[in-house]
Amino acid sequence: MILPEPLLRISDLVAGYGHRSALKHVHIDVVESELVGIVGPNGAGKTTLLETIAGTLRTKNGEIRYRNMRIEQLSEMERRKKGLVLIPQDDYIFPGMSVQDNLEVAGILNDKDTTKKLLAEVYEIFPILKDRVKQLADTMSGGERKMLAVAMGLVSQADLIMIDEPSLGLAPNLVTKLLGSLKRIKKKTKRTLILAEQSIKILDVADRLFGLEGGEIVFSDKIENVNREKVEILFFGG
Amino acid sequence: MKDHFKEIAILLILLIPLFFIPIGGYFQEVTGYVYLFIMQGYVAWFLYFRSGQPFFGYTVTMGAGAYGTIVLNVKFHMPLWFSMLSGSLLAAFVAVLIFVATSRARGFYVSMASFLLAILFPQLMLALQKITGGHSGLYFGGLSDYIGVNGLYITVILSGCAIAGTIFLIMSTRVGSILTLISQNDQLTKSVGINTFIYKMMAYAIAGFLSGIAGGLYVNYTGFISAVDIEVFTTVFIFFIPLLGGKSRSYGPLVGAIIVILAPELFFELELYMRILLGSLFIIVIILLPEGVGPTVERLIRGLFKEKLFKSVAR
Amino acid sequence: MLINGVINGLIIGGILSLPVMGVAVVYGLTGIPNFGIGVIGVFGGFLTWLLIPTTNLALAALVGIAFCFPVGFFLQKFLMTPASIRAKGDTFIYVIITISFGFIMEGLTRLCFPKSIVGIDLPRLGSFRIAGVQAEGFKFIALLFGICTLLAIRFLEKYTRGGKSWKATSQNLKLASLFGINTKRVFNIAHGIGCSLACIGAIFWGGLYNLGVTSGWELGFLGFIIAVVGGIGNIWGGMISAVIMGMVMSFSGYFLGGNWQSVTLYGVVILVLILAPKGIMGSERSF
Repeated sequence: MILPEPLLRISDLVAGYGHRSALKHVHIDVVESELVGIVGPNGAGKTTLLETIAGTLRTKNGEIRYRNMRIEQLSEMERRKKGLVLIPQDDYIFPGMSVQDNLEVAGILNDKDTTKKLLAEVYEIFPILKDRVKQLADTMSGGERKMLAVAMGLVSQADLIMIDEPSLGLAPNLVTKLLGSLKRIKKKTKRTLILAEQSIKILDVADRLFGLEGGEIVFSDKIENVNREKVEILFFGG
Repeated sequence: MKDHFKEIAILLILLIPLFFIPIGGYFQEVTGYVYLFIMQGYVAWFLYFRSGQPFFGYTVTMGAGAYGTIVLNVKFHMPLWFSMLSGSLLAAFVAVLIFVATSRARGFYVSMASFLLAILFPQLMLALQKITGGHSGLYFGGLSDYIGVNGLYITVILSGCAIAGTIFLIMSTRVGSILTLISQNDQLTKSVGINTFIYKMMAYAIAGFLSGIAGGLYVNYTGFISAVDIEVFTTVFIFFIPLLGGKSRSYGPLVGAIIVILAPELFFELELYMRILLGSLFIIVIILLPEGVGPTVERLIRGLFKEKLFKSVAR
Repeated sequence: MLINGVINGLIIGGILSLPVMGVAVVYGLTGIPNFGIGVIGVFGGFLTWLLIPTTNLALAALVGIAFCFPVGFFLQKFLMTPASIRAKGDTFIYVIITISFGFIMEGLTRLCFPKSIVGIDLPRLGSFRIAGVQAEGFKFIALLFGICTLLAIRFLEKYTRGGKSWKATSQNLKLASLFGINTKRVFNIAHGIGCSLACIGAIFWGGLYNLGVTSGWELGFLGFIIAVVGGIGNIWGGMISAVIMGMVMSFSGYFLGGNWQSVTLYGVVILVLILAPKGIMGSERSF
């Protein structure tokens, strides 16, 4: 069996804030059109990993390849243009702007027609956003804001959408709903999604799972090979 | 004693201008003027850089001391010592008042409020021109009527030394170490059970009082004050005195005053360009030498020495 | 007298609204309180004055205003953006740097122009009487200009791509750059526009009063403190508080005398700072 060429290949990555390195020699392969979950306890380095891929944090050592191109020296903007986007953990919307404006800003690098097409697509996936195009983003509920953030990721036309803690602060039923729609999005749009997640429900939707602990990858495998119980005990306290 | 070798050395250096009296003339006059600002520089060094209090109203406390002295003495015919003391106490009171009024706000807004007060103060003095003389200002003989020009000069030099010494002394006590703690981490200091409010208030009171004394001496030395003397740029210059000289060093204000106050006085023929030169210097120091001129020169000299040592060893 | 006070307040508020908006635009986008903005504007005002004899007013004003744009643009690009790495959130560093830059601009104004106090002749545009009070038309142009600028900024924010990325940057800097907005360039442009607005304010100031080498400080300080009242960085708040503070100045002038005008003004501002540090309308900046 020939393995597909990975969309994103990270090898020997070292990164972190200041002199401390929150990531120690991380290796990761992400295959196109997969939904990848990164799990791990607080402070394991999940956010650091996503920020280093997106370019908000500088790489100290190692390489990041995207579509077989080295990107670790590129600026945040250049990586964004290559098709990566990161949706941060908090402050993931523009609070004083309408839903429509939020989405249009997200698509600021596209040409007009593309944005229009993508907007139609997004409204089909999240009909609730279509009903609220004129509403100010910060007057929406937590779940709706998360949906908006995901929608913004889609409109940005990125092929690789990274979302930091999508289920943070959401009620359990909303988490199931949101992760479900992320899975549908992946199927429908063939985008690649990387989710840094602390909710156990990630196991139900992910295609591949990485376990991060203390800045090191402790396991990485396809979801069907992952020992669910072991992961639960390791990361979700049983 | 041995720990405070540096501070004692600085105090001794501060006394050197006493030997300028035989030279006299312009040079002596300028030195005294620089000392009036060295005092303010030490106050700023103490309050802003050592205690971490974002206070920016040095001309307000200085002006309170100066106007308090001259107005009480000239307009209300109070004895001079009483006027100076009242002026300094007024300055301490104003400083504490600013602190208490802004204690609810966060850092930037505190500095903002005291800075706006520094803009307001000269306007207030203009508006009160019946008492303060407004633009044309107030004149008086002051201390030199009693102890002569040289006596006044000696007083200023000794006071400069005394104010710096007082601040060094405070910084070496328990209060000083608590203030240092507050400047490093306010919240943490609070959480270990220290009443930071009291200590900060104390810092403001001390700084206000010392700045007021220096203001009282200012008006005695120049024999004159008007709203122009305490315009807001003076507060900017006072702030820059320790920053330029080296905010982390106890000699910082001394070096800074030489650059900010003495240099423009000596090169008065460059007056047209002075603002440009000073402005550029300030920007260069903030961006390129955030530690100040003093420590940078220190490092250069040390580097030179090492090189020499290295060469002599290599030989 | 009431009407007279109101009209006077509108005139003062109108002139002040321009530097206020300059300050608000710069602070709202970049988070930098530029105290030297007035001095930069006054340099442009002097340039306009110098050119008036050789060309017509509109062109002269345009040159002055256009000159201030790159000054602000490059100030942000080469000084403030690098300094923000040093400042580490200490906003007062910005105050110090902008004042120092103001010193340089003030010195340059002194060097470059033959006079240190000038007046700019603006066309009077007729005069009209409202309830027995005589007022010249040109005095209201500043207010009109302020309102139009405000509306223009709002219009751009709503309907253009550039305006939207501008607003997004002011709302959430990190997210804006994550989605590919060149926030540094937005900062540069905002600073340029702010300085140009200050220049328009300076030209009106020179038409109504006199423009001195140091007038810029007054203009900048007034602009800043009024921006504080409205909520620094809030453009609407700036406009409204400019009119309110114009009234405060006008009426305190009547009741207490000219000397007390600025004292009352600064007093009100310090009170606002103590009671409601974020201004009466709050700051638009959310980072």
